[in-house]
Parts: sequence; C-alpha cells; structure tokens
Amino acid sequence: MEQHIVKLTDAENQLADLLQAAGAADAKAALTEHGLPHRRIEEYHYTDLRTLLRDVPAELAKANDDLPSEQFNGFSRVVIVNGKLVHADAIDGVEIKSVDVAKKVGDDQIINLMDGFAQSQIEISISKSLNKPIHIAQVHAGADSVAASKLKVTSADGVEATIIETFEGQNDRGLRFADCAMDVAANSNLLHLQLDQNATGARQFVQNCYDLHEKANLRTFVTHANFQLGRTDVKAEFKGEGAHADFAGLTLLMDKQHGDFTLNVNHAVPNTTSTESFKSIVRDRAKAIFQGKIIVAPDAQKTDAQMMSQGLLLSERAEVLVKPELEIFADDVLCAHGATCGELDADALFYLMSRGIPRAEAESMLIKAFLAELFDEIEDEQIHAKLENRVDAWLAATE
Amino acid sequence: MAAVKETIDQVKEIDVDKYKYGFKTDIEMDMAPKGLNEDIVRFISAKKDEPEWMLEWRLEAFRRWQQMEEPSWARVNYPKIDFQDLYYYAAPKSTPGPKSLDEVDPELLETYKKLGIPLSEQAVLAGVEGARVAVDAVFDSVSVVTTFKDELAKAGVIFCSISEAVKEHPELVKKYLGSVVPTSDNFYATLNAAVFSDGSFVYIPKGVRCPMELSTYFRINEEKTGQFERTLIIADEGSYVSYLEGCTAPMRDENQLHAAVVELVTLDDAEIKYSTVQNWYPGDKDGKGGIYNFVTKRGDCRGKNSKISWTQVETGSAITWKYPSCILRGDNSQGEFYSIAISNGHQQVDSGTKMIHLGKNTSSRIISKGISAGVSQNTYRGQVSAHAKATGARNFTQCDSLLIGDRCGAHTVPYIESRNASAVFEHEATTSKISDDQMFYCQQRGLNEEEAVALIVNGFVREVLQHLPMEFMAESQKLIGISLEGSVG
Repeated sequence: MEQHIVKLTDAENQLADLLQAAGAADAKAALTEHGLPHRRIEEYHYTDLRTLLRDVPAELAKANDDLPSEQFNGFSRVVIVNGKLVHADAIDGVEIKSVDVAKKVGDDQIINLMDGFAQSQIEISISKSLNKPIHIAQVHAGADSVAASKLKVTSADGVEATIIETFEGQNDRGLRFADCAMDVAANSNLLHLQLDQNATGARQFVQNCYDLHEKANLRTFVTHANFQLGRTDVKAEFKGEGAHADFAGLTLLMDKQHGDFTLNVNHAVPNTTSTESFKSIVRDRAKAIFQGKIIVAPDAQKTDAQMMSQGLLLSERAEVLVKPELEIFADDVLCAHGATCGELDADALFYLMSRGIPRAEAESMLIKAFLAELFDEIEDEQIHAKLENRVDAWLAATE
Repeated sequence: MAAVKETIDQVKEIDVDKYKYGFKTDIEMDMAPKGLNEDIVRFISAKKDEPEWMLEWRLEAFRRWQQMEEPSWARVNYPKIDFQDLYYYAAPKSTPGPKSLDEVDPELLETYKKLGIPLSEQAVLAGVEGARVAVDAVFDSVSVVTTFKDELAKAGVIFCSISEAVKEHPELVKKYLGSVVPTSDNFYATLNAAVFSDGSFVYIPKGVRCPMELSTYFRINEEKTGQFERTLIIADEGSYVSYLEGCTAPMRDENQLHAAVVELVTLDDAEIKYSTVQNWYPGDKDGKGGIYNFVTKRGDCRGKNSKISWTQVETGSAITWKYPSCILRGDNSQGEFYSIAISNGHQQVDSGTKMIHLGKNTSSRIISKGISAGVSQNTYRGQVSAHAKATGARNFTQCDSLLIGDRCGAHTVPYIESRNASAVFEHEATTSKISDDQMFYCQQRGLNEEEAVALIVNGFVREVLQHLPMEFMAESQKLIGISLEGSVG
C-alpha cells in the first residue's frame, strides 16, 4: 500500500500552488496526495526529492524572447525559451510546429509536474535525411522560476539525423523540466545529444522516451555537469525487430552536486540489441547515481544487451551509487552488466609521475583516458571539441 | 566425470518420487492453540520455562510486529498469509528433556534415519570416511537431540539448543541475542523474535578451533505449522567453526511458513563458515504447496581480522526470501558469499546478500549462480556498500544466471554504493542459456540430453560447490541433478 504523507513540505505546497496556476488541477491533486518522490519509492531510492528539493521558485516562467549564447557553426537552429518555440530555421524536409498539451496524470509525480507545467508541445517531424545537425537551444530565461518544455520528434522511414539539445539558463535557483519523446522510424538512424549548461544552482528534470521500430538505429549521449540537482530518466522501448540502440552518459560533478541517471530499456521484441555505457567522475561531496534496468520480455529471443557503468571518485567524501538491474524473461539472450568504482590507479599515477609529469597533469591524463572511449563514438568534430573543452574546463575548475 | 555419473544415477533414482524427503512422521504432538496473540507468546515462553527477561523480550517484539507491514519489495507473488491460521508451536510429546538417544521417541529416530542424518554418535555420514559431525536436530518447534555434546564440552565449545542456552548461559544470550538482527529489523525477523521456538546456540571460546563440524537439521512435519527457529553463533577471539544447516519438510498441499533468524558474531581473528543446503519441499508441478522460506541471516564481523563466509545451495521452497549478509565492522575483516540458487517448476527465489563495509581494509567477495528452469523466477538482489570511513574497502561480485527453457525468468538487482574514494568495487553479471554448441559437443560424445545439461550445469556452479564442506558437496551435486530433472525441452 502506498504510504500517505502526513504533512506536505513547503516546497510541495509551493509546487501544488504553481500547478494550480498552470491549470493542472489533476497533477496538483496527485501531488498533494502523494507528495514528491522519496527514497521509499524504488525509482527514486537515491534521489529523495522530499529532502533534496526543499526550496522551489515562487513563480512560473514568463514568455521571453532572449536568445541563447550557445552557437554551433553550420547547424540548423531551433530556439525554445521557457518551453515556448521562439525561433526555428527553415529546414528542408523538417516541419516544426507548436501544439497544445494534452495533460495526463500518472504514478510518477515528477512526470506529472513535467506535463502539468508544460504549456505547449513542440513537434518536429523529419521526413528526409538531414545534411546538417539540428541544434535545439532550450533556454530557461528570466528570474528564478519554474519552466517546462515538451518536445516530440518523429522521423520518417530510413531518415538519418542528428539532434543536439543544449539546456541553458542564467537563472540560478531555477527549476526546469524537459520532456522529449522520439519516435525512431524503421530503418532510420538518429543521434540525440543533450548538453547541460545551466547555472550552478539550477535544478533540472529531464525525461527522454524513445520508441524504436524495425531496424532503427539510435545513439544517445547526455551530460550531467551543470546544475545543482539533475535527473535524466531514459525510457526506451524496442517495438520492431532488428533495432539497435546505444545509450551513453557522462557525469562530472563537484561540490554538493547531485546527478541521477535512471535508465529503463525494454527489449519487448526479438532480435534487438543495445549497449549502455555510463561514466561518472565525482569530487568534493558530489553524488553520482546510475540506475539502469534492462528488461527482456518473454519471447524477446536473441536479445543482446550490454550495460556498463564506471565511477571514478576523486575525493574522500564523494559518492557513486549504482544499481544496474537485469530483468530477463527469455532464455536465448546475452545480457551482461558490469559496474566498477574506485579512485585513480595509484600505480598508473606513479608511473607517470616517475617520468617527470606533475601530479595534476598526470591525473588529468588518466581522467581523460578514462573518458576517451565515451567520446570515440561522436563523429561530429564540433560536438567532439565542445565535449572535450567541457572536460578541460571541469578539470581546470577543480584544480 | 564422476560427479556427473552420480547426478544421473540420482535422477534415475528419483524418477518416481521427485522429492524424496516428502514423507511425514506420525507422532503425537504437543501443540499450541492456533493463532497468534500475546497469550501464545506467553504460552511458548512458559513451555520453554523461560526467565522473565526472555518473555519481556518476546512481548516487546510481538508488540512491534503488530505495528509492522509485510514487505512487498521482493519479486515474489503469493496469496496473503493469514497469520492467525497457523500453529506457532508444535513439539513431539515425549519424556521431558531426553538425556540420551535411548529416551528419544523411536519414531523420531526413524525419521532422521530416513533423512540420512546420523543422530547416533557412532554413525558417520554415508560415504565420508572418518568425518564426524555434531548434530542439533530440530523437529517442528523443538530441538529433539544434540549429539557429541560431551566431547565438545571438553574443548569448551557450547553447542546446544537455544532454549537450553537461555537457561544455562543467560549472560551470553543476553549479550548477543538480537545484537546482529535487532528485534524490529524486519517484519519476519520481528515475528521470529516474538515466537521463535528453538534453534541452535554455539559458542566457541577464545583460541579454540572447533574439533568437528557442527550442524543443525531442520524438519517441519506438522500441518499448518510455522517454523521459527533462531540460531546464534558466537566465535570468540581467534576461534574457528564450520557450521552446516540442512532442511526438509513433508509434501503437503498447503503452504507452510518458515521464518528463521540466524545471527553470527565473530570477534578478533575469529572465523565462522556457515553452509546451508536448503531443500524444503518446493511444491508440486502445478505450484501447489511448498514452504515459504522467509529468512533473515546476518553475520557481524565485530572484531578485527575476523571472517564470515556464507555458502548456500538453495534448491527447495516454493518461495525463498533470503539475504545472508555480512557487516564488516572490524578492520581487515572479510565477508564471503557463495550461492547456488536453483528454481524449477513454480518456485520463486529472491535471494542475495549484503556486504556492508564499515571498517578499514575490509574485503568481500560474492559469487552467485542462479539457475532457472520451468516457469520459475529467480532473482539475485544484493547490496555492497562502503561507508565513508571504510578506507581501502574491496569487493568483487560476480552473479551469473543460466536459463533453461523459455518460460522462466532471471533477474539481477544489485545496489552498489561507494561512499569512500579508496573503496574499489567490481561487479559483473551475465545471463545466458546453455548454448547449442555446448549441447552438441557433449551429445556428440555420447551423452544424452539430460546428462549433457547436468554436466554443463555442474561446470557452471563448480566455483561455489568448491566452497562447501565435503559432506555437503556430494549431496549438493545430487540435489542439483534432482532439481533440474525434467527441465530440458
């Protein structure tokens, strides 16, 4: 039986009022009944939002036309500010429009908040292969506020496309939600990246849902680095045989940052394959969480799923909390998961230092080597360079 | 090859009757009234002639239990248990406290003979030359006999039933009982604290290496009876003991409840090796009947350089809910968990371990092999955590699952929590089926399908079997063969 929360926290009351203001009465009712997810709810075991989300902005984000700073040369550009579509380049074969949101209420209160606060859904349909990536700048502008965006991407049969989202914001104690649903059509090939560039105090909740159809190919890459509290929920379902997906994530956290990757990959049909590869580096008192679940449905024979999560702890009080789950109902499958965590290898460090490399430099060499394979998969030079710069900046900030 | 031959013989042997321990013993029983309330707790305590403090301890637990809810997080499904529809105490009627084997009801001796458990001190386990094992035999709610007591006493080892220990060694019981698994630890442990009827108590004094293996043999016989045994093993500084546990029950249509608590304590430089072969009645082929095995087992490496090692072979029970754990409190302490969990038919297993690293330079190792066949569900659920002060903690975990047939499930739910940078944790898990290549290779060399499966499975679990004491190894190999019988195709 669901445990009823006796008393709502101030933050929960505040969110309930904001939901009311956003016209989401059902989500409000659900929140007042259940409260925010807490550690007794298995999906939020390590991210207890009743304690982590104690203060909530007092108002909803207003419409704003501020344009973002992040630029990618030669990419098509779409700008979403506070959940509202404010700019979209004309792209051959791509239709972009904004529609009303049909609000639904489910068991997960965070998803309810996401839906409750979203005022419109931006739909991007890709009908032919793109010769340049689409950059979607998701901006949270204005004073401390609550914002939510909802994105739906559909691809036509056989399409190839790269979509890179950047989450930007100057708003220091902001709370943002971003929902992205992608329908990866048969034979299509999509690459989806999400880079977070929030202000240091921001709180962010992201949900990415993917439906994979016959022989579809999907690659995703998400970073967790710039926020106070962040959670990305990935939900993927294989709906057609022969589909393949690679999920990857990079976590770089310090101070008291808290980052949570929760992954649910459902191999519902036979002959599908996936890899999951997540790396975290934490220092100070930061916490990196990875919960990955691979489900192989009955009759989903010949599934091959390989999950790996690796954590590197650079400070005494940093934490890496990992839960890699397998749920398997078919016998002719190959499933494996591995998880490691530890500090930098003292022998390797000694080896480098004995050759005259200063400690800090030796450490960053080893850290980069630890991350190298994650970046190998990303072919676009501009994105590749941006990611490497980010790692350099993070390392510089922590020296 | 020898082991395989044995397995196959065993499979043939049980062709007609799959679960060979399914007989029941007709013996006059002394029962408590059905149901559970404070009076039943008092009744059990009075039956055991317990001191006041023990009764208070039980009542406290019972009051807490009434406030608790049955846990629902495990991946097992069963109809709600009516805790008022059970007998909480059942003991064979006999002369009070048999002094020697001659005074024990012959019907009981016959039962243990059928089970292959030597209660006579001259007897040795079949096939193992020269091995002597002291046995504490628990029949429903009471310990009927403990063998080799005198010889053990010479070494200073205390091995007796827990009810006896409450009376004879209250200072030890008071000090350690509930110190590893607190009374209100979880729903079933609390229930156990309130109504536990018997179990074994072991104390190994400083510097003593226990001269023989100790073992407990649990037998549930009576209908609608819950068995709630409590085992407490204390290894004082520098001592060592190896302890074996076996269990069986008759075949009955309804489900029976077994909720035990096992507490282990090792002080400085001490070691406990605890091995279990769990072969409760698993229910029939339609999933009717069988034991609900809801067990809390935990070891506390309290002293530095101490070690606790759990080895388990789980083949029985309709439902298993069991997580033998180690709290690595002492510096340099070690925890080990070796497990083979086999589920067939409609069995549901949710088992694993917890390794809680608290002290410095503690290490742990987990090897878990799950085999699911039929329409069973087999879950490994484990936790490895390093506390912020557990500098130099080290864990290696390997959990492999093997699926036989396409209607069963194998699941892995590990929690890995590192709160110390110098802790090094490694975890690997794989799931696979017996490959056609392996089968082809074996069959091409003249083995039939069932023999080939037995060979491959024995290879799969070898790593764990090696950690079992001699006496159990042979038995376990046979059990694996039996459990998987009829699972091919």
